[in-house]
Amino acid sequence: MKIGVMISDIMRSLFRRPVTEKYPFERRAAPQRLRGHLIWNQEKCSGCGMCSKDCPAQAIELITLDKANKRFVLRYHIDRCAFCAQCVQSCRFKCLQMSNNDWELAALKKEPFTISYGREEDIAALVGKLIPADAVTPEKA
Amino acid sequence: MQKNDQADKFIIPIGPQHPALKEPGHFEFTVDGEIVTGATIRLGYVHRGIEKATESRTWVQNLYLLERVCGICSHIHATAYCLGVERLAGLSVPPRAQAIRELVVELERIHSHMLWLGVAAHEAGFDTLFMYSWRDRETVMDILEGLTGNRVHYSANILGGVKIDVDAEQTKTILQGVDFLEKRTHHYLDVVTTDSAFVQRTAGIAVMSKAVAEHFGAVGPTARASGVTQDIRIDAPYLAYEDFPVEIVLDTAGDLKARFVVRVQELFQSYQVIRAILDKLPAGELAVTMPRRIKENETISRVEAPRGELFYYLKSNGTDKPERIKIRTPSICNFGTVPALAAGHQLADMPMILAGIDPCFSCNDRMVTIHRPADDSQTWTWEMLRQYGISYYREKER
Repeated sequence: MKIGVMISDIMRSLFRRPVTEKYPFERRAAPQRLRGHLIWNQEKCSGCGMCSKDCPAQAIELITLDKANKRFVLRYHIDRCAFCAQCVQSCRFKCLQMSNNDWELAALKKEPFTISYGREEDIAALVGKLIPADAVTPEKA
Repeated sequence: MQKNDQADKFIIPIGPQHPALKEPGHFEFTVDGEIVTGATIRLGYVHRGIEKATESRTWVQNLYLLERVCGICSHIHATAYCLGVERLAGLSVPPRAQAIRELVVELERIHSHMLWLGVAAHEAGFDTLFMYSWRDRETVMDILEGLTGNRVHYSANILGGVKIDVDAEQTKTILQGVDFLEKRTHHYLDVVTTDSAFVQRTAGIAVMSKAVAEHFGAVGPTARASGVTQDIRIDAPYLAYEDFPVEIVLDTAGDLKARFVVRVQELFQSYQVIRAILDKLPAGELAVTMPRRIKENETISRVEAPRGELFYYLKSNGTDKPERIKIRTPSICNFGTVPALAAGHQLADMPMILAGIDPCFSCNDRMVTIHRPADDSQTWTWEMLRQYGISYYREKER
């Protein structure tokens, strides 16, 4: 490379802002299509379960409490999710979408990685159902 | 993969964990002073059993598993799989979807070649080029993120089409990025062909003749740098390559410099084809509905990955899961040339010779079966294999 080209490159680089950004103090806006956290819109869900059937990472559990009255709980495991958006494609009623804002999903404990979507009373009913079942298991063993 | 002529000479073992490369591979170089006289390569440290795992997943789930065979050329794996599955199911994919797939394939090729340019420059001790090319590579990564929603593992494909569309705003961003990258690529071509210190590391090193390349079955840019006219995009056009063709980039020198020139020149072909696609993107649907089950059948699918020909064999059995999927990746084809090229070069040239084939170690968790003549029976029982293992390690300890 010619010396002149090198010197001009050095001079330009000396007065240029660094290319790197000071994350987390500086944040870039996430792209519109970024695939982050999964969001479930319960209103339209028919409980067909195609989302959980097509999920390559077993990240979605659709628990049916009462199909006739549309009582479903969708349990989403963020730590298993591959963020591929196949569930969004598989859903015929467009109840699933991926947030383009929630992408900082790290946590120090395991609990925040499981999210239960659904009506509050349904989730409570589910917890009520599951806890005694879990409590019995150690005694059996 | 063995070329150890003088076993009594000094052997330098390198790897699987070593500072020269970021991925695991074990190399044994037989040296006479500084000169390498023979080389042995052992691969397969990243074997994940993906081919077997496909048999317990549905056709839809496998798309995402196979996309993860390689992190650099993920879209091409998904595309090869999709093309095969769509042929099995007898689907015809809308032209717009095929063109968008080709667009992402070429953007991915740019990202892969620029990544390689940085890695190869780093192996040569030219870290300035490494920093510059990786900084500029961010442009194409941002384009891919904006277009598909992710920097790697774009998940642009679904069986029967694509998920994403290209709008006017995307087109503008891509064209701007491509213009910038083209300007930079002219600069890089200038650097790799004229920088005297760099050319000393590449010109005349690891010269592979056309006959040697064909003998070892080299593919992709590695073979094209030795004058082998082979490019699946031209030989057997898939996706929309008939409407948006590329020209073959050849070099007959066969040395490391030729491999740099061929890969950098291929970037210009990618820029040209991206512009052509964005200019005349066919209108229409993005996807067609894919059946869940596929009747018993078998097919193959060949595509040109950034590293060379990628080959998929698919067999269906009438259920929603495949019977067998076999993948042949380009890196495993090119690795055979490394021991042959290593002999006669300095030990310090080895990282460069290895980087010259653009090795992808996660592609190498493949099993290779060598067909022997019919009378040479090689059927081993489990017990025979076990006994062989015991006696092999006993011999080694002695």
